[in-house]
Amino acid sequence: MGTVVAFGFAAFALAGGFIAQSFEGLKEGTIQTVGQLQVVDRRSVTRTEEKTLEFGLRDASRARAIASQEPAVSSVLPRIDFVGLATSGAKSVPYLGIGVDPEPEARATGARALVVAGSYLSGDGGDGVVLGTGLASALDVKPGDAITLMATTPDGSLNAVDAVVRGLADVRIKELNDRYLACGIALASRLLQSPETVSKLVVFLKKGADEEETARRLGRELNAAGYPVAIRHWRELAVFYGQVKLLYIGIFGFVGAVLVVIVILSAAIVMTMAVTERTREVGTLRALGTRPSGILKMFLAEGVALALAGCAAGMILALLVRVALNASGIVLPPPPGATHGMPIHVQLYPFAYAAGLLTMIATMLIASYLPSRKASRMPIVEALAHI
Amino acid sequence: MGEGGARGSRETPLVAASGLNRTYRLGAASVPAVRDVTVAIRPGEFVALQGPSGSGKTTLLNLLGLLDSPDAGTVVIEGRDGASLSEDERSDLRRDRFGFVFQTFNLIPVLSAEENVSYPMVIAGAPKLEHRSRARALLAAVGLGEKLGVRPDLLSGGQRQRVAIARALANRPAIVFADEPTANLDSQTAEEILDLMRKINEEKSVAFLFATHDPRVVARARRVIRLHDGRIEKDGAA
Repeated sequence: MGTVVAFGFAAFALAGGFIAQSFEGLKEGTIQTVGQLQVVDRRSVTRTEEKTLEFGLRDASRARAIASQEPAVSSVLPRIDFVGLATSGAKSVPYLGIGVDPEPEARATGARALVVAGSYLSGDGGDGVVLGTGLASALDVKPGDAITLMATTPDGSLNAVDAVVRGLADVRIKELNDRYLACGIALASRLLQSPETVSKLVVFLKKGADEEETARRLGRELNAAGYPVAIRHWRELAVFYGQVKLLYIGIFGFVGAVLVVIVILSAAIVMTMAVTERTREVGTLRALGTRPSGILKMFLAEGVALALAGCAAGMILALLVRVALNASGIVLPPPPGATHGMPIHVQLYPFAYAAGLLTMIATMLIASYLPSRKASRMPIVEALAHI
Repeated sequence: MGEGGARGSRETPLVAASGLNRTYRLGAASVPAVRDVTVAIRPGEFVALQGPSGSGKTTLLNLLGLLDSPDAGTVVIEGRDGASLSEDERSDLRRDRFGFVFQTFNLIPVLSAEENVSYPMVIAGAPKLEHRSRARALLAAVGLGEKLGVRPDLLSGGQRQRVAIARALANRPAIVFADEPTANLDSQTAEEILDLMRKINEEKSVAFLFATHDPRVVARARRVIRLHDGRIEKDGAA
């Protein structure tokens, strides 16, 4: 019986640790991409741009300087989002472009680590671009090759600039790899003919900073400085994070429910057998003056004691399995759309241990209740005559 | 039917049964186990319930000990009608006023001798110090002062029955119901157990009612109630 509880508890603790780790990784990855807060033009919250930089932030350097003065902010990264056509002469391929301030961008987002050939942008980026490996392959270019970028400017005219491929990046999502292009803000501004205008300011906060409070202050200060901005939280922007989290909760919730049902059924069978085996003992205890409620309490208490003992064993088991899994180097297959698998890592997540303990106690109480009630109501003479 | 015994006939009965009937159903058949029995047990009596197998001894003992309920008739315990009591009140009455000794000892296997004897006092809410010292005194009184921490499976049949007797006396009962207490014991041990119960009866004025067909038990009884086919055939001094 204790074994069932121990395995049930260990499964809870390990699954909880794995989920917590997955959420943490997903959260960190999301924040690395979109920042904790984003300063955007108010209009972009409810409307979609029909032209590039239609809802751009003008006088971006001053806005960036104001935001950087906020004590809780660690860095403010300007970004220009744009789309266009890249051509290597022989081929033309559409791209999703992002104009960045290369050095702070690399420091805050770890963008440099994604580069698999050549190098990341340096200085203000100059005329350099970093292409997704898929896009580079489609264009048939390598670091050092020249390409031409074409895009539509905010006033609707077509513009083109020459650029040099500095590096190739693997951005880990296949569809994005086939379209990814990063360049310096200066090159993007030149291409779009929109100096001092950016799509957004991506804000990273210092560790432990209060996101809500900082967002409120940033909004107040920028509005006061004449910027019609809205501050968006990373959770609003990370649709993928929210969907994956819901999916995980759904999957693990279902598996957890199945686990609980299995433990309840196993425990109920074992408790029924235990009560049946002890029928004569129940008869004796009743004859000696134990009230029916006393018999019920006795078996329920035994159920709880079994749950506690099983959880103690399960805790040791979970800790050992966790160490083994984390040291195993097992890499999980990449999720849909991703290009890289995720190394398995199980966090020590106290909430899962507490939830496992409470679930196992509740499970054993439920499993013990019916057999215990039956035992407490059994006629004494019948119980004493039980063989 | 059977009125009175050899001793204390003027005292208020501890247990008085009137017009008791109990029938068991085995499939479609009805088997009457006790038929129209009226009997009274008074304080300090030492009574043997005698009869052949199937005569209704155990059934009558169970009815008088409030372990079972009659189909008809009444069982009155020290003036209280058993039928009017709730299940909890019947439990409390058994715990506080009755002791039980079974043919197969019925000790709790996971408890030591001392814990087995303490159990009725524990459920009665006795403080730990009190029930421990009383359990030890009772085990010493039945000659098992050296076996306090021993579990039942390591005791002989006679020793187990002594523990059961000590347990039956734990809450200072008015009466002990014993169902074939010597049936599983060898002759010498059976004699010792009977002497012990007789001694307790005489020294502590605890009434004993035995269901038995052991002639040695009958020989020691002061009053014998003979059952046949569920009816009292004879009730009087041994």
